[in-house]
Amino acid sequence: MTTRFIGKPLKRKEDPRLIQGLSHYVDDLNLAGMHYAAFLRSPYAHANIRSVDLSKARRASGVVLALSGTDIDGAIQPVPCAAQIPDMKSGARPVLARDRVRFVGESVAVLVASDRYAARDALDLIEVDYEPLTPIVNPEKAIAKGAAPLHAGQKDNVAFKWELEGGDLKAAFKAADKVIKQRIVNQRVIPVPIETRGVLADYQPGEGQLTVWSSTQIPHLLRTQIASMLNFPETLVHVVAPEVGGGFGTKLNVYPEEAIVAYLAIQLGKPVKWSESRRENFQATIHGRDQIDDLEVAIKRDGTILGLRCRVIADLGAYYQLLTPLIPTLTGLMMTGCYKIPAARMEITGVFTNKMATDAYRGAGRPEATYLIERVMDLVAAELKKGPVEVRRKNFPQPKDFPYATPTGLIYDSGDYQKALDMALKVADYKKLRQEQAKLRKEERYMGIGISTYVEICGMGPSSAMPAGGWESATVRVEPTGRVSVMTGSSPHGQGQETTFAQMGADVLGIDPSQVQVVHGDTSVVPYGIGTFGSRATAVGGTAVYKSLQKVKEKLARIAAHIVGSDPERMVFANRKIFAKQSPKKSVAFGQAVSAAYVAKTLPAEMEPGLEATTFFEPTNFTYPFGTHICVVEIDAETGDVKLVRYVAVDDCGNVINPLLVEGQVQGGIVQSVGQALFEEAVYDEQGQLITGELMDYALPRASDMCWIEAARTVTPTPVNPLGVKGVGEAGTIAATPALAGAVADALAPFGVHHVDMPFKREKIWQVMSKNRRRVQ
Amino acid sequence: MKLAGTASLPAPPAEVWSLLTDPSRLSRLLPGCERLEPDGPERYKATVKFGIAAISGKYAGTLEFAHKKPPNSLILKIDGKGLPGFVKGEGRLELRAKAGDTEIAYNGEAQVGGLIASVGQRMLDAAARKIVHQFFEAAKAELASGKGAASEPSSLGQSHARGK
Repeated sequence: MTTRFIGKPLKRKEDPRLIQGLSHYVDDLNLAGMHYAAFLRSPYAHANIRSVDLSKARRASGVVLALSGTDIDGAIQPVPCAAQIPDMKSGARPVLARDRVRFVGESVAVLVASDRYAARDALDLIEVDYEPLTPIVNPEKAIAKGAAPLHAGQKDNVAFKWELEGGDLKAAFKAADKVIKQRIVNQRVIPVPIETRGVLADYQPGEGQLTVWSSTQIPHLLRTQIASMLNFPETLVHVVAPEVGGGFGTKLNVYPEEAIVAYLAIQLGKPVKWSESRRENFQATIHGRDQIDDLEVAIKRDGTILGLRCRVIADLGAYYQLLTPLIPTLTGLMMTGCYKIPAARMEITGVFTNKMATDAYRGAGRPEATYLIERVMDLVAAELKKGPVEVRRKNFPQPKDFPYATPTGLIYDSGDYQKALDMALKVADYKKLRQEQAKLRKEERYMGIGISTYVEICGMGPSSAMPAGGWESATVRVEPTGRVSVMTGSSPHGQGQETTFAQMGADVLGIDPSQVQVVHGDTSVVPYGIGTFGSRATAVGGTAVYKSLQKVKEKLARIAAHIVGSDPERMVFANRKIFAKQSPKKSVAFGQAVSAAYVAKTLPAEMEPGLEATTFFEPTNFTYPFGTHICVVEIDAETGDVKLVRYVAVDDCGNVINPLLVEGQVQGGIVQSVGQALFEEAVYDEQGQLITGELMDYALPRASDMCWIEAARTVTPTPVNPLGVKGVGEAGTIAATPALAGAVADALAPFGVHHVDMPFKREKIWQVMSKNRRRVQ
Repeated sequence: MKLAGTASLPAPPAEVWSLLTDPSRLSRLLPGCERLEPDGPERYKATVKFGIAAISGKYAGTLEFAHKKPPNSLILKIDGKGLPGFVKGEGRLELRAKAGDTEIAYNGEAQVGGLIASVGQRMLDAAARKIVHQFFEAAKAELASGKGAASEPSSLGQSHARGK
């Protein structure tokens, strides 16, 4: 295959419609006779519901239906949780609270009105009699002796315990010269996609057909779940994910509103729409991270790490969403990072608290892992008074060690960690940076250099290791006019599959990317698929596309060879022609061969007409992208302000389909990490009120907070798929927080400080500097 | 949310005490108070209109006096809810004679929930301080009108609110 398009920085096919505002998100869709749903949400973090009085709301102008949790009892199953951990307790979230609310924002009632203002106004007429209960907000207090359990019939607030151990940990700690202990906190954050959630449902009683438009990353799984939750025939459920304006994992889920809006449409026989407000998005769409990690590291004096033990408290919130319990276990699997650590153990305690559920947020458990292990490397370096680069290099596996087996049971596919580190040091001019730092310190200016050498687990994944299928589907159909439709189960929400899959189609079939249309998100058009998450779209979804393209190409080669009288094996596809390699005059136009498949008069004997192929690709392993990020900050000693000075990102995601999109993914992820490191924190007060409840109180990074990201790549293809691609969607959030934390700790080293918990707000940094200045000087 | 501070009123403690514990006069001091009716011993039903920026609305609830030690100290309990959320709190007021005036030290804590907590959080402290300020200003005016003459100049003491 000649690659005219794969590997080239093509501009995204999606962008013109997005930039011009011509795209259609759920809220842009309007149906005749459409009604609007609104949800009444609990202002209490923890309360018994004595009664819900809907009588006034039902009489309000425009209101056609109002329902409480009691009214729908039994009609809609609770929110599904696909993650299963042995002996985990029940934490199922009812779609509407019935007798108790367990977090601020939990829905208590729903109503439908003829317009959205009437619906909103009528919410004020619902009277709920709450009996406030003591909220449990702090996860450590939640599992302390005597804490009342959130869920009836349970003895405490421990949702599950999960353990993973590999290697001889006892021996490691026995052989250690030193043991370092540290507690680190990975704070709760709110993902904040630009488009909030939204659902539109339409029911045709004659046909019995239910159509649900939802802003989701997983249209097929949602279809199955809606059918299950409503006990409705799956064959009559049609789910569409139209344009989706970002998800970051929040839309890799099934929410009460998706089932309830569908239910309301069925009950009313009218289309019903619900659009999530930003405030609802903050309170009632999944949050991310929220782990407390207590670390113990066994080390040798030369910097060799012998063993790592980590006790994790994972704050799950009040209920399980789709993957809630699974997320911290990914931290366990990746806890040894890109280092040869022979023994490791993680003990996770999943805890119920009166908060919104945590679940998959860009990186999902792995940013927590890199944060943990990279903080360890820096602490080891500080303890031994060695450089952070030296300690990392000392513990890297060598390229010859791949495939490399970790003590946590994973097999890293391929890697050359030294190469990425060397390139990053070169791009950053590390030596010079250190000289500059020394010079500035003399002037009492506090520059810090942070290094993160990371590996992530991506391309999710083999089905054996996934809660609900790790494969992906693709159908390629060459239409009679010669245009190519690619139907992918990997439903994008900003990743650009319409571009990258078209590049692949163009190169495999020797045509132009403009001839290739990528179709996604519609369960009636696209074969059953899994969805876009876990940096899997290209590695798994793309491979399915590639394999289907190969199948179609093979058939076209046979047709073309039959027409020109040549050997199918020798046919070449280029410039919209199919010709014999040795004698290019034996050629047919691409369109002619396609036409032959449909007209079906000149096909080889026994060949079926048509030009369509479907693949369900099952990968044999995850992929393990890696790289090195270097961050330079300067801290203002007067104000505690952390300013980003430089950021170097060297990522290795294997082969690359479109470097422009790879860079975009890396940039976006790094910016989100800068958000978590410097500003973001979901704060619940002691009463369980989310006091960072909107964008005025929850600080997201802005363009002016960033510096230019100097991005470079090394290329180490994976043997796991024929494209050699690994995935890059989460690299930024996985790699960057430890680089920022390392830089801040490094800047604060003259103050005798080696670890500060995120976010590095001015106030906190100023306090650290003020408190420790005297001690050191 | 915690709220503590001092204020000075231009009247002796006995007079201030009678002002603060007389519901008909107290209702005039509470900013936005539309109704204050007896609801049992030392307990009143109250309707208060209150707003922070765009988040305004009526709160219905109760106001209760406890541990009354005339004219030295009392505890004031409030419990109200309305469309913008709920407020539940309790505060201790101590009255002390000081050169013919009364110095009031107040110290209280309130739980605020719902919309007002999630959206109005950063303005809550300032709004609470403003309400306290308005309350004591109204008390001064009430005392002045009760005397039928302008009182001596008085000033609000240092007050501070602290979010928690």
